[in-house]
Amino acid sequence: MKKALSFVLAFVMSLALLTACGGSGNSSGSSGGKTDSSLPSYASLKVGEDYTDITAELRVITHRTDIIDTTFAKYVEEFNKLYPNIKINYEGITNYADDMTTRISSNNWGDICMIPTTIQLPDLGLYFHPLCQLSEIEADYNFAANRAYDGVVYGIPSTGNAQGVIYNKKVAEAAGYTTGNLPKTPDEFLKFLQDIKDKTDAIPLYTNFAAGWTMGAWDAYIGGGATADPDWMNITMPQTHDAFADRGDGTGPYAVYKILYDAVSMGLTEDSPTATDWEGCKPMINNGEIGVMVLGSWAIVQMQEAGPNAADIGYMPFPITVGGTQYASAGADYCFGVNNSISDDNKIASMLYIKWLTESSNFAYDQGGVPVLKSQEYPPTLAAFDGITLLEDTPAPTELATLQPDVNRESEISLNADNTHVQRIVEAVVTGSETFEDIIADWNARWNAAVDRCAPAA
Amino acid sequence: MKEPQVTLDRPKLTFIQKCKTMRGQQIICTITFLIVPLLLLFTFTYLPFFKMVQFSFYDRDYLRVRGFVGLRNYIDVFSRSDCFQALKLSLYYMVGSVVQITLALLFATILSFKVRGSKFFRGALYFPCLICGIAVGFIFKFFLNPGFVLDTLLGWIGITNTPNWLENTAINNIVLVACSLWKYMGQNIVLFIGAIASVDPVLYEAAEIDGANAWQRFKCIIIPSIRTIVVLNLILSVSGALSAFEMPYVVTGGTFGTSTYFVVMNKLAHTDMKVGLASAMAVVLLGIIVIVTFIQKFAEKKMDEAENRPRHYIADGKGGRK
Repeated sequence: MKKALSFVLAFVMSLALLTACGGSGNSSGSSGGKTDSSLPSYASLKVGEDYTDITAELRVITHRTDIIDTTFAKYVEEFNKLYPNIKINYEGITNYADDMTTRISSNNWGDICMIPTTIQLPDLGLYFHPLCQLSEIEADYNFAANRAYDGVVYGIPSTGNAQGVIYNKKVAEAAGYTTGNLPKTPDEFLKFLQDIKDKTDAIPLYTNFAAGWTMGAWDAYIGGGATADPDWMNITMPQTHDAFADRGDGTGPYAVYKILYDAVSMGLTEDSPTATDWEGCKPMINNGEIGVMVLGSWAIVQMQEAGPNAADIGYMPFPITVGGTQYASAGADYCFGVNNSISDDNKIASMLYIKWLTESSNFAYDQGGVPVLKSQEYPPTLAAFDGITLLEDTPAPTELATLQPDVNRESEISLNADNTHVQRIVEAVVTGSETFEDIIADWNARWNAAVDRCAPAA
Repeated sequence: MKEPQVTLDRPKLTFIQKCKTMRGQQIICTITFLIVPLLLLFTFTYLPFFKMVQFSFYDRDYLRVRGFVGLRNYIDVFSRSDCFQALKLSLYYMVGSVVQITLALLFATILSFKVRGSKFFRGALYFPCLICGIAVGFIFKFFLNPGFVLDTLLGWIGITNTPNWLENTAINNIVLVACSLWKYMGQNIVLFIGAIASVDPVLYEAAEIDGANAWQRFKCIIIPSIRTIVVLNLILSVSGALSAFEMPYVVTGGTFGTSTYFVVMNKLAHTDMKVGLASAMAVVLLGIIVIVTFIQKFAEKKMDEAENRPRHYIADGKGGRK
């Protein structure tokens, strides 16, 4: 019997090894997808005119689980009027970034997905179909370079985000502020919060500490908005020592996080950070129980729809002024990518649908985002951004494409991915365990070590 | 070429004929029945484990391998301040697991004898084990937040000046340990009740006639009879304590100094994308658990030798006559 057992074990292992080898053989065979000239480029496709008789079934994977049966279903219906033979199925993933990263390594995950930002730019070609040359769409599209590498576009932005601050207009009015005199510097902002505390019953600044990822939003403000330098985030910062140091003039990453530290230590936030509730905060700000929340423009529509007072929700630029001018960072949300291991028909159908979504669906406007097409108009929610210079972070040049992600992760600060470093600021105040300067010193030390380790070979 | 000589007294069977013999049938059955569970075991346990060990020697994230780094990840695990800092938190959970086993033993002993409503209490005490750990985490999150259930309950009996259970670093780890104790104690109780039920009731009767009180019966009959189960539970609890994850991850998210080894590992692997380093952490933790288990086994053996009397004499009810 023992012999039999060992035989089975050996057999199973060799079987598993065989399948493992087979698997890797497959993927290496199809992963060398370079620009495929036999297919029309995304830019040259004319939606509604080209390929109207094409037949395909597409699986679209999205992070927007909330609107699959409503908004997206309506889009599919509209699109099918032009392309009746393209069948589109949506699949939603709640834990999108993590799950999609895992699934992307298999070839048959579907046809269209939102490209996970965990895939570094030089690797895009392994998984995604090269849509067109950057030069072809640069003039018409905002954020066209977001998911491009070496002049080839792999992803089309679904919508754009402007980084500002959500506030309740009624609460602001009661505290003596209108659109004309909104705070523009960190000091004015703290005064603004103090006024809300003194003159109303609302919680001035709601941190959304408990949900965690909501605090990660603070990282989005340390780029162009805080420095007026579009190169800062992707090119300069990952080569700069002491990137978090105090600049002394109320600008830069230091100033952004200092606002949070000061607001918590001055008692301008909720009583107990661990008791905050993400779903609960939406009706609260809608009803004027919360004054301000620091979240990207994607959150505006959710706050408006959480109660009867949609008109009270306002959006203002982040209160940092550089050299007398206020800037706001803007950038692409997730970008649509097309699987590079599907059939040519599916690729064409996928490109047609993406192009239709981008140019004809009005998705960005409906979601209160910055439009993707330069010719489209801004949604009314971004009205307070009139006169504010929107700055898009410049993508790193090809030879430095992995520098920012590498330094960012090597330092384990993981800007825009991790939230514990922002939560640490709140913890520091509540427990009194460390000062703000301690935190900054630690971040600088870790950042410096990562910069040294990842520095491009000279 | 010469044909190999075939011995005549044992006729050589063909493969098919071999399969048709009783012995052959047995082997075929064994193989076919074993192949499915073994394949599952291999694909979902051993293969990922070997892959993890392999990953731990590389600098890599999920999709991209940056290169072979040898032992650097292991050196990092031992030289970083946060990894072993996190293991210190496990001490809280280890102390908690001793308390948990003591309490479980107490409840199991009480419930093993005729107590009014013992069926109900058994069910009630086991119930938390049936709830998914994440759900238990959310229950406690709301239970413990300032102004919520616990504070209200304490307010009714006149205690109003309560600390913030989750933010006060002096107590928050103890509170979290209490939460895991609530969830996992039922499992120990069930095991203990099962073990106690297997003790020969004649022994209790004899002890009673000899005038032993409840404590003496517990100490001299129950404990020696179920010692193996107690030790097993201790091993399970200690390795559970080293790998505590659910409560700190769900209730506090590892904030306010409640970040256990697993929470640190999770952050490194999933947000910082240092898959190699996190794999090395996992291998190190495995090593620690194996060592702890060996120490316990060793101590158990020593205890056996020190007592110098085979346990089954008592359990058999044959007395000490030799």
